[in-house]
Amino acid sequence: MNKVAFTSRNLYLQVLLILVLILLVALPFYTSAYNIMLLCNILMYIIITVSWVLFSGPTGYISLASAAFFGVGIYTSAVLGQSLPLPLVIIIGGLFSFFLALLVGVITLRLRGMYFSIFTFGLVELVKHFLLWWEITKTNTRGRFVILVNYIHVFYIMLAIFLVLLLIAYLIRRSKYGLALQSIGEYEEAAAHIGINVTLLKVVTFAVSSFFIGTVGAVMATRWTYIDPVIAFDPFYSFMPVLMAIFGGMGQLYGPVIGAAIFAYLEEALITRFPYHYMLIFGIIMVVSILYLPEGLIGLLQKLWKIINSGRLAVYREKRQKRGTGREQENA
Amino acid sequence: MVKKYIVPLVICLILFMALFAGCTQPSTTPAPPSEPKTGGEQEPEPPKPEKDKIVFGSVHSISGPLAIIEEAAFGPIRNLWFKDVNERGGIYVEEYGKKLPVELIEYDDKSDIGTMTRLLEKLILEDKVDFILPPTGTAMLYAAGPVANKHGYILPGMSGGATTIKEIIGGLPYFFSNLNFSDTQVPAFGELVSELGVKSAAVVFIEDLHGVEYSGAVVPEMVLRGVDVAFVKSIPQGIQDMSAIIKEAKAADVDAFLCLAYPDENILCVSQSMELGFNPKLMIFGPGVCYTFFKDIFGDEGVEGLMSWGAWNGKSTPESQELIDKIGVANVDWWGHNLYWAGMQMLEKSIEKAGTLDQSVVREIMATETFDTVLGPTYYDENRMLAAECHTGEVGQWQSGQFEVIGPKNKATAEPIYPKPPWPGQ
Repeated sequence: MNKVAFTSRNLYLQVLLILVLILLVALPFYTSAYNIMLLCNILMYIIITVSWVLFSGPTGYISLASAAFFGVGIYTSAVLGQSLPLPLVIIIGGLFSFFLALLVGVITLRLRGMYFSIFTFGLVELVKHFLLWWEITKTNTRGRFVILVNYIHVFYIMLAIFLVLLLIAYLIRRSKYGLALQSIGEYEEAAAHIGINVTLLKVVTFAVSSFFIGTVGAVMATRWTYIDPVIAFDPFYSFMPVLMAIFGGMGQLYGPVIGAAIFAYLEEALITRFPYHYMLIFGIIMVVSILYLPEGLIGLLQKLWKIINSGRLAVYREKRQKRGTGREQENA
Repeated sequence: MVKKYIVPLVICLILFMALFAGCTQPSTTPAPPSEPKTGGEQEPEPPKPEKDKIVFGSVHSISGPLAIIEEAAFGPIRNLWFKDVNERGGIYVEEYGKKLPVELIEYDDKSDIGTMTRLLEKLILEDKVDFILPPTGTAMLYAAGPVANKHGYILPGMSGGATTIKEIIGGLPYFFSNLNFSDTQVPAFGELVSELGVKSAAVVFIEDLHGVEYSGAVVPEMVLRGVDVAFVKSIPQGIQDMSAIIKEAKAADVDAFLCLAYPDENILCVSQSMELGFNPKLMIFGPGVCYTFFKDIFGDEGVEGLMSWGAWNGKSTPESQELIDKIGVANVDWWGHNLYWAGMQMLEKSIEKAGTLDQSVVREIMATETFDTVLGPTYYDENRMLAAECHTGEVGQWQSGQFEVIGPKNKATAEPIYPKPPWPGQ
């Protein structure tokens, strides 16, 4: 009985997933240009957040380097965008981020906790100031224009990156590597003692997650049209994935996806409706969600699902009633 | 077993579909910037519905690091212009046979360039505004240029701009620039330096487009004028301590100290120079010193003799004092406010003259005609930049609580004070 229920639920989920994806692919045929642009932005946040969770979720290493990898992608697009075709630029952007992460990972992933977070944040500033210094003293560059790309094209590329990322994140989670990452997060010494090459695994996962952030940077730069090091390496993009992942919940793969999507949409909706008060409203939403949704939106959804699905609602009510009557008796 | 692979397989399938759909899209290379359409080329349009207002859209930085520039530079002029036009009953548009009031839809870009370009396209595509107004600062303006041009919307450049705009403005026929910057200001400053007999100088600039541009123009100008440049140093945005640089300049005993930075850094530089007793004969600063609030921080005596780019005041033209009264003297930016106001006046007069809200017709008039504005007769040059002859000044100096124009000579409202008097209490 239980097995049948499980299978059919899984099937529902898969059908739902396929439907959502078909809707997304067909989107440019039935919605406005601005909605597509908004969706590109939402996809950008989703990809950065899922990439961040890919590494930081299971291992518990809070990386604040997302902005550095994002910026590397943006810069690649600005420098190479004029001379190379876009798909190649995107892959190169991803690869630059990958190798930067590899290099940084080898040096820093022996650091733990706070030290790792601070170092990764420092990386954003380091790359930014290195580029500033380089451009001011060596190349005398003053900002760069990026070639504008059709928004529909950007949308499909973002969707493709998103699906590849989702597939890879799914496969990693289901594989022995996912388990190994989980064990690193729980007890790194124990993981090392059972024969996991802790450093290698961490470095490679860190680099893979950075690859995707880099590709997204390279695509999004084409919608920004003009960049300089300060614009490209904005620390904002280091903190957003962390916030979005917490908002969505990190327990499941779809947690950060839903978290980032709702977060990004909410931000846009508020900023266009209440330009002078959106920060205040946004702040209140953040405080409330952190206070009352410690496991994120997904935690709330799972709780609701459990209550509705397994007929616990009745049990739940019964329990509450019992508790209520118990209290009344005590009071009496 | 099969179940295990369903999800990945489905994702692969969709991915393939997405890529396929992506490949069938038009080529990635953007079309070259569209040339302004002439009326004859346009398809006949259906009769226009009744219109009861002209809607302007603006994405600017209400929050984030650029908010300080927004509040002091173009923000007050934008708000004043809307109030002023509506008080006069609106702009007369012949096509509709009446005066139409103006309305503003505004969005905050959080000082983020991605948000700015996206919301600018929202204004154009979804809100279908009649005209757009520029975002805050040079980088934002540069990013907005190609977007506005792609959709054939006039972009009147206000706060921000740099000489590099000349390299790209040819491809952006809808971009207009109103602010003056280094190409006219630095030569005027050079003349001043020669006239005052400055022998040595130290240059500090902020690490961004503005700083690189001004230092790149000022240093060769100084060398040309025979001034010995002791050092040229860059400072990062948001620097918290400039004492080492100030001490070095003090040790070098330079005549002139040039701080080509933004309000925060300029305030820091002045306060630390006071503390360290560094009082060169000439001090000139980037944006910030030209705002009235800067004088309010340090007082009339504190800013006495400090120079900044600019410049204008109530004596510049007969209409200037009226504009100052409208803005309120406490909110005036003595670099750009009259230029921004003139820019808005030119846009308004062009719409009136065009008798239509058609961007290409209004653009044509804006680009070619001469208008009577707060600056006097005003026009754009062949690059659609406000003609240098229309500027009311290039270098200004605080003198007894007034921001006086001191360069170039033919536009000066006062003689320069040199050497700069000591800091108050020293």
